[in-house]
Amino acid sequence: MSDTVSASAAIPLRLRIRDGDGYAEFRVEAEPHRTVLDLLERLRSGGSAVPAYRHSCHHGSCGTCGAVIDGVEALMCLTRAADLAAPRPRLPGGPAVPPERDEAGAVIVTLEPLSKMTVVSGIAVVPGPVFAGIPKGASYLRPASADGRASLPPDPAEAVADPGAWRPDGRVRFEACIECGLCVSACPVAVPFIGPAALAAVNREREKRPEQVSAMVAIAAAPDGVGPCGRHLACSRVCPQAVFPGKHIQLLRNALASLA
Amino acid sequence: MFDPPLAPANGVRVCVIGGGGTGAALAYDLCLRGFSVTLLEKGELTSGTTGRHHGQLHSGARYAVGDRAIARECMEETLILRRIAPDAVEYNGGVFVALSDDEADYAPVFTAACVESGIPAREVTLAEARAWEPAINPAARRAVWVPDGAFDAFRVPLAFFAAARRLGAVIRPFVEAVGFDLTGGRVRAVFARPCGSTRDERIECDYVVSATGAWAGAVGRLAGLDVPITPAPGTMVAVRGRVSDMVVSRLAPPGDGDIIVPQRGLSIIGTTQRVVDDPDGILPNDDDVAFLLGRADELCPGFSKRPIHAVWAAARPLAGRAAGVGRSISRDFMVLDHAAPGSPPGSSGMATLIGGKATVLRAMAEKAADHVCMALGVDEVCRTRDYVLPPWREYYSEGNYAEGATLGGRR
Repeated sequence: MSDTVSASAAIPLRLRIRDGDGYAEFRVEAEPHRTVLDLLERLRSGGSAVPAYRHSCHHGSCGTCGAVIDGVEALMCLTRAADLAAPRPRLPGGPAVPPERDEAGAVIVTLEPLSKMTVVSGIAVVPGPVFAGIPKGASYLRPASADGRASLPPDPAEAVADPGAWRPDGRVRFEACIECGLCVSACPVAVPFIGPAALAAVNREREKRPEQVSAMVAIAAAPDGVGPCGRHLACSRVCPQAVFPGKHIQLLRNALASLA
Repeated sequence: MFDPPLAPANGVRVCVIGGGGTGAALAYDLCLRGFSVTLLEKGELTSGTTGRHHGQLHSGARYAVGDRAIARECMEETLILRRIAPDAVEYNGGVFVALSDDEADYAPVFTAACVESGIPAREVTLAEARAWEPAINPAARRAVWVPDGAFDAFRVPLAFFAAARRLGAVIRPFVEAVGFDLTGGRVRAVFARPCGSTRDERIECDYVVSATGAWAGAVGRLAGLDVPITPAPGTMVAVRGRVSDMVVSRLAPPGDGDIIVPQRGLSIIGTTQRVVDDPDGILPNDDDVAFLLGRADELCPGFSKRPIHAVWAAARPLAGRAAGVGRSISRDFMVLDHAAPGSPPGSSGMATLIGGKATVLRAMAEKAADHVCMALGVDEVCRTRDYVLPPWREYYSEGNYAEGATLGGRR
């Protein structure tokens, strides 16, 4: 992220982007700190016919720009050219292997749409399966740890809250999960399964809101709940936010066992 | 439970161009008023400026000295957004801190302007401010509490999209407006091109609103219109960890690198400003990074020692034309009616929203929808402040499947 990146440090890349049955290919020279998303944006604004892709925040908060990059789910906005030129796994949790290069020495980078989702065009998907299993009223706020700090002052301009909305007292922050669906795409389970993102949300809700415990446990206990999970942990390995859905699934299993 | 009473369908077709926060709120507003709405966005929803903003929910304090009206509007809108999208707002308040003698002298001016604008700002001791947020520079001279917050730049707009679609709006991401039928000097239809297609669709409409922000100049040109807009990108840097829960700002007139916004697991320092001709493909200036981190360290020492998570840029849509970096252009917004000189407003069948900022997206939509009603003789009032929006997750969980789409696969 230096401001002294020299042209000589540019990394030659051959981007292969899924477009229907084939690929659109682009050769670019990338500064090491540029992200895959930066490169697609630069190509598109330069007039290239880049296949469709999703993006919004460009800093790993919105969760829209997931793709399967050389076999592993990742956010395009957080994957830099330097990462692509370094040894990387080709499967979630696999061994790091050197990048594939073409005859001219350019690093070959293949972008595929996330799995299990409906493709709109190019590598843009509709992430329905990510959201479908998340409980409808699941709260996105959680308490922010005060860490010994003083309580925040009362707000003289307090907004009139919706009486039906749950909100933690004191300092608040969003959940770490950005609902990007990388875990859902990477999960190898092939039978009906609400999936790792939904189960992580179910467990968070169970932990945050005592009145929701029985409803959340019932979701986990359903046939498409924790049962189909084969503990592959691909979900946790690709999570860009250290949510580690596999851990939440295990906590749900523990909760079910303690009730049995 | 989102179940607002609907105005009777009036059969009037409005095409909204632009799927950012303003377009989202406008589609929802028009649906509540009984219009038949189609929204076109050339990329993913919020892929222009909206999604990339630093997420500050502005109480208006930043603008109060310069423009009481804008500040007042921000304050009203923060209260509305906190009420109608409660789960997409991290509301923890904010502190403005003075670091120099000049800034310390500015404190009473600033606080008085806030209070005159309806913002309940109050000066606090530095000890109090640092008890809330020890990250604040211990060498700061004065501190003022304000009701700032942070909001999710993607999820707030998506909640508006979910509401609009529930009320019947046709939301079409990855469909670009590429031309207009202007027969008889009035917009009759929009030509729309789905991504990856070479065939244009004709979307018949009675009125068009361009809510395309920094892209309003380009969309206006498609209709032969000159839209005065200045795309003004700024760079932002996110570091890992929350230096604070409160928004920490510099107690000075708006400038570069003077706001730290915590959000989720990140802290974001923003921003810079330059002006460009083309808002597409904006990349951050590498030179901005060291500058911004240095400025952040002045507010919260140690900020720059945290790992950098991301560096990006977004193009503000400044209303008007600027030389220099454009800080002199107001952040206000207006609805530009494209009627020919001497013709009644609305007679061109098109208007453009110019200017504005994320916090006031709902107010921008209200003003645009008021204009549509005036232009088309529809008598319905705005009700978007009245109902809690549905969860943003509904937008995707309820399906939005494009025709002919296929399942993705890998390996």
